[in-house]
Amino acid sequence: MITIEDLSVNFGRTEAVRHVSLEIPDGEILGVVGESGSGKSVTALTLMGLVSAEATVTSGRILYDDVVLQEAGKPRDKALYRRYQGAQMSMVFQEPMTSLNPTQRVGRQVEEMLRLHSLPAAGAAHGTAQGRVDFQAPIEGRLRLYYSQQERQAMKQLVLETFAAVGLRDPERVYGCYPHQLSGGMRQRVMIAMAIILHPRLIVADEPTTALDVTVQNQIMDLLREINEKQRSAMLFITHDLNLARRICHRIAVMKDGRVVEIGTPEEIIEHPREDYTRNLIEAVPGRMKRQRRSAGISREPVVTVRDLQVYYQDGSNSLFSRGKKNHVVRDAGFEIRKGEILGLVGESGCGKTSLSKAILGMNKEITGEIEHFSSRPQMIFQDPYSSLNPSKTVGWLLEEPLRARGKLDPGQAMTAADMRSAAMEMLETVGLTEGYYDRRPSQLSGGQRQRISIGQALITRPGLVIADEPVSALDVTIQAQIMELMRRLQEEMGLSYLFISHDINVIYQMSDRIMVMKEGKIVEIGETEEVFAHPREEYTRQLLRES
Amino acid sequence: MKYLGKKIATLIMTLFVVSAAAFIAFQIIPGDVVTSILGTEATPEREAQLREELGLNDPPVVRYFRWAGGVLRGDLGVSYRYAKNMNEMMPVAELIGDKLPITLSLAAISLVLIVVVSIPLGVVWARSKSKVLDAALGVITQASMAIPSFFLGIIVTYLFGMVLKCFVPGGYVSYEKDMGGFLFYLLFPAMAIALPKAAMTARFLRNSMLTEMKSDYVRTARSKGCSERRVMYGHVLRNAMMPVITFWGMILAEIVAGSIVVEQVFSLPGIGRLLISSISTRDLPVVEILILYITFVVIFVYFLVDILYRVVDPRISSR
Repeated sequence: MITIEDLSVNFGRTEAVRHVSLEIPDGEILGVVGESGSGKSVTALTLMGLVSAEATVTSGRILYDDVVLQEAGKPRDKALYRRYQGAQMSMVFQEPMTSLNPTQRVGRQVEEMLRLHSLPAAGAAHGTAQGRVDFQAPIEGRLRLYYSQQERQAMKQLVLETFAAVGLRDPERVYGCYPHQLSGGMRQRVMIAMAIILHPRLIVADEPTTALDVTVQNQIMDLLREINEKQRSAMLFITHDLNLARRICHRIAVMKDGRVVEIGTPEEIIEHPREDYTRNLIEAVPGRMKRQRRSAGISREPVVTVRDLQVYYQDGSNSLFSRGKKNHVVRDAGFEIRKGEILGLVGESGCGKTSLSKAILGMNKEITGEIEHFSSRPQMIFQDPYSSLNPSKTVGWLLEEPLRARGKLDPGQAMTAADMRSAAMEMLETVGLTEGYYDRRPSQLSGGQRQRISIGQALITRPGLVIADEPVSALDVTIQAQIMELMRRLQEEMGLSYLFISHDINVIYQMSDRIMVMKEGKIVEIGETEEVFAHPREEYTRQLLRES
Repeated sequence: MKYLGKKIATLIMTLFVVSAAAFIAFQIIPGDVVTSILGTEATPEREAQLREELGLNDPPVVRYFRWAGGVLRGDLGVSYRYAKNMNEMMPVAELIGDKLPITLSLAAISLVLIVVVSIPLGVVWARSKSKVLDAALGVITQASMAIPSFFLGIIVTYLFGMVLKCFVPGGYVSYEKDMGGFLFYLLFPAMAIALPKAAMTARFLRNSMLTEMKSDYVRTARSKGCSERRVMYGHVLRNAMMPVITFWGMILAEIVAGSIVVEQVFSLPGIGRLLISSISTRDLPVVEILILYITFVVIFVYFLVDILYRVVDPRISSR
């Protein structure tokens, strides 16, 4: 059993984790659910001995059976930890692209586990005859540089078997690939192979599916459950998504501001939450139940019509000597967005959602077909409020920028500095902030506040159409609910039309009047939201609905 | 293959543009090669005769293409200033051919010194936990980068030549006579070239490694139970080499083109010195060829860097 006793972790003066106690018995999946900044990742990293040097453990200890791995007031014993890291406790990270070494073949990276640690007695559990895997364990604390041909063969064999066990087709090919040559799901499978190859007692999975598409997400969740059943590994499953935790965990701990506020079985937590915070979390999750019907305010008039649109994407450099390959990313798109409606656009990453929206905005020149606008210049709200706001400017400047740009384009609409200032002040109120934010910079704002600024930027020129590209995907659940509420309210007050893009079909359901499903560059289905959800015509739509 | 063809086409176009630009520059800057050869006392008849001999009476465009055609046929022209003997003009090819091995050997030795010194230094520096060592290396490398190379040359000459008496200052040994002695002599100018560049590279490598240490894959490596040492050598070093390789390319291009100052200080008859003297005597054929050579070297080195990138970072070739 792995035990976290009364753990507190500080970064300088900030208390990231406060008096957390968790027990992880063998074979159990313990979910830790919380929003960003709740201390869930710091807890996991501290458990793994991976938290950065600036962090100090100010109270409590971490036990592996009776072995004290870490204790308040004592420096971390790195050599002791190294014997457990990988072999007894392994970790699966969120972002499988950056978490793998980009310049090493993935086979080697997984094999490194074998080179670092001795093979566990459980070698047979791989379906490998005990006698077949025979290579010398590395001498304590030292790495062997030379392995015989036979040993290398045996190690590779074990890696290939593990690849097959985590559902990677053609293990031999994957073995020789670099991370960038694999898809997101395959990379995460490689990470999982790395984590399980030595049959550790505990696997810590930190948001293992957050960076993946819905369909892939489900496969990875199934794989984790299967590993837990087959290998009897305990798991610490960290997520911001309560629904995800419900599906896989035996017990769930809810964290807030560094504390565990509630712990219990999934039924207890979700059906009978004791804490208000937990209740908020549950309610904020977008679901199929929470749709207000409304059709008032939608007219038949279009704000934009798209006919026979093809969008291409120029691949690679466009030099004097060679033109990059042209990829056809959107095929035969034809639809209209009506005045006052929210049209939801759903599809997996790479299906052409963003290319389509850029074409409508006029940001993509490689197009054929027809796009006709019936309102003034459309505006855009982006996904990541951290990188889409210029960090060196003030909020006021950012809000006024679209007005300035419009003034430059059309001198007739140029405004005086005072007018722009008052428009920005007004917009701050409109998006639910106060005038005090005018002189702040993006770094002084939270994610939700930044997204409010992005929305303000989009709306300040009073456009008829706003394209929102995954506007809530980077936000925590409770913030997500607030932003969606805000966008709805503004839409009604200002009579806007939205093209609302998301990979999350529940978010789409809650927001949209009509939805449009895209797959591999094609619009496969379009219709009234209720209609599509109740009677999906396409197999792909059905699959999307099933898997969320 | 397509990639190679593209590179070669770029090379040819660049060489054409650069050589034409150099040719035009020599038309614009004041001064007359005839005066510079014969002196101001020469008779007008003698001057006219020489002008005719050198083909200077034709329009510049004709002269450029005559020269360029010669180069394409392998005839690099003859020097205006140097003569083989009383009756024969000195072919530029031969003139440069004599100096090239010196500059190339110097560049090779310098590069080896840079690589051998900077990588261990950068790694040790990146790994060092001691604040004293960190600060000391910071000051030392900064100082080495700041010293002008002629002064560094003088220091090296003084220290190794006068005090330690390792070599005779100014006593250049020709490679035709004594290969070993030649290479040994080159070691000292190479030091003067390598020291600041090695210091810069070490700094670069350290910063790059410290940046890489913050990457997610480093955390993954630690979660596997890698020691700090293994994290450094097994994972970080290769990823941290990318900016360093770019920098080496710049250095290599610079020193292969001839280290003018250092060649001067150590009285090495290399490309750098030839370039200086040819420019000052308006020895146009030599200067033109040297400029072509330097352009070629720079492009070729960048081509090598490009290939090296692909070797170090597998992501590039598939982009």
